[in-house]
Amino acid sequence: MSRLGVFDVSVRYGKVPALTDVTLHIGEGERIFISGPNGAGKSSLLKAISGAVPTAHGRIELDGDLLTGRPPEAVARLGLSMVPEGREIFGRLTVEENLRVGTGIRRDADAVEGDIAEIYRAFPILAERRHASAGALSGGQQQMLAIGRALMTNPKLMMVDEPSLGLAPKIVDQVYDTLVALQEERGLTLLIVEQSSVRAGRVGGRMILLRGGQVVGEGDAAAFADKDALTEAYFGKTGKEAAE
Amino acid sequence: MPGKHMQNRLLAHSTPLILALILLAFVAGVALTGDRALARMAAETLVRVTLVVGLWIFVGNSGVISFGHAGYMAIGAYCSAWLTLKPQAKALFLPDLPVWLANAEWHVFPAAIASGFLAAFVALISGAAILRLSGIAASIATFAFLAIVYTVYSNWEGVTGATSSVVGLTRYVGPWVALAWAVAAIVAANLYANSASGLALRATREDEVAARASGIDQYRHRLLSLVISGFFTGVAGALFGHSLGVLNPDSFYLGITFIALAMLVVGGIGSLSGAVTGVLVLSLLIEALVRLEQGITIGEAALALPSGAQEILIGIVMILVLILRPAGLTGGAEFRLRARTPRLSFDQEQTTTN
Repeated sequence: MSRLGVFDVSVRYGKVPALTDVTLHIGEGERIFISGPNGAGKSSLLKAISGAVPTAHGRIELDGDLLTGRPPEAVARLGLSMVPEGREIFGRLTVEENLRVGTGIRRDADAVEGDIAEIYRAFPILAERRHASAGALSGGQQQMLAIGRALMTNPKLMMVDEPSLGLAPKIVDQVYDTLVALQEERGLTLLIVEQSSVRAGRVGGRMILLRGGQVVGEGDAAAFADKDALTEAYFGKTGKEAAE
Repeated sequence: MPGKHMQNRLLAHSTPLILALILLAFVAGVALTGDRALARMAAETLVRVTLVVGLWIFVGNSGVISFGHAGYMAIGAYCSAWLTLKPQAKALFLPDLPVWLANAEWHVFPAAIASGFLAAFVALISGAAILRLSGIAASIATFAFLAIVYTVYSNWEGVTGATSSVVGLTRYVGPWVALAWAVAAIVAANLYANSASGLALRATREDEVAARASGIDQYRHRLLSLVISGFFTGVAGALFGHSLGVLNPDSFYLGITFIALAMLVVGGIGSLSGAVTGVLVLSLLIEALVRLEQGITIGEAALALPSGAQEILIGIVMILVLILRPAGLTGGAEFRLRARTPRLSFDQEQTTTN
């Protein structure tokens, strides 16, 4: 059984279709990149999985639990955790409070202190600034905090929305190094939205390409980094043929 | 590390201690003067501390402005009157009370507790209806709630005395009684804000979407905080009645709503210290201006402000504070003891504005 199953999911905003019959499966411990041009439906897919937007059609399951139709807080309780786009940390709470926020839903309260210590070990800068307000951190530090916060819920699946957005390339490298290291250590299952397929290819994993709300390609991320399929995803078949 | 961590958590609880000591110093200072007018002013100020701290438990943590708290205050105030007034007085002024209530002759302390519980219960019912709405819509709905309470209490002749005042309440609330309740409210508010529910609610205040994605049920935590908030607001209402001795529905309408919110905003809505600071600063300012309106003599010159100057000057002070310190006098920080340098300082942890 796959960890996450998305079956024939469609999402509409009013009459405008954002996703049409998207089906995908993610196995335990896998790393999946969702890529595609602007308006391809990447964010809509994440929102549909996390319960932030309703699905018009289809079904989403996490470890066999039905997510469709549940509000975001219930989806989070079933083991899905999200690092939202733009690093939406809780600015006026302290770093440590940010980490503790998500732990209210855990049944193993005893393990929380140990996990916080582990996050601090992975991100020493957060330990240093544990009592500072999160809004005072730099962009890269806020991204680390958002990842740390998502980890604190002990998720079955962690989704990261555009981790490179608005960060310097060097910081983006650090963020990905951290994600990969965390995944290897903890056997995390990761779903990452990444607009740059070059970046995704370098990090490695399976890639799913979206365009116009549909899955148009799937395969090894490294292979996608410089392939015709990518051009096709961005510009469409007709565009490519016209160019020839 | 764990030792230091523990120490930090203990220091987080130094806030209520510092606030209690400030209020104690205020009451003790007033008691030393032996001035009866000052003592009354101190009692009224501390009743307002209970009210504004009660209001803060909901507003400060949820970020939802409530215009409805004067309603919970009215409910508490009248409840205590029903329970403590002499049966003869009730037969005369409030003839429609049910028999068991008409014959009740409770001690003032359990009556204050009961007033808090009734207000908390009404908060639970009204909150269940209101708090599913988003921020501004919820605020408007709290205002509608206030209007409902006001209309009921100003017209329910045989139970509330309607617009004619209820008189004869035992005036047992002096500075020391009011101080005890104010400190109780501060301790409860601090406990709630640092609890798991308080933390979850503050997260929804910062970012509702991210909070829900972290598994937080915003509605549940808002409702819990409103119930606790309603309790202390109801108690504040009871104390208010027993400090003046007279109840009138008009005391629990727009005037008190405005002044309580003004105190919260001037002090700093983001922190408990802000709530207490706002009450002290505005109460002292109002007292000073009232005295100036009555006129003072310096040497041969008599100086008096024109009447009405007080309201205008308070309004100007509020505007100035909002312009110069939009996050309030405390800027949303708590008074707290520091780990390395054990002295009173503004804690800069929470001062960053987004």
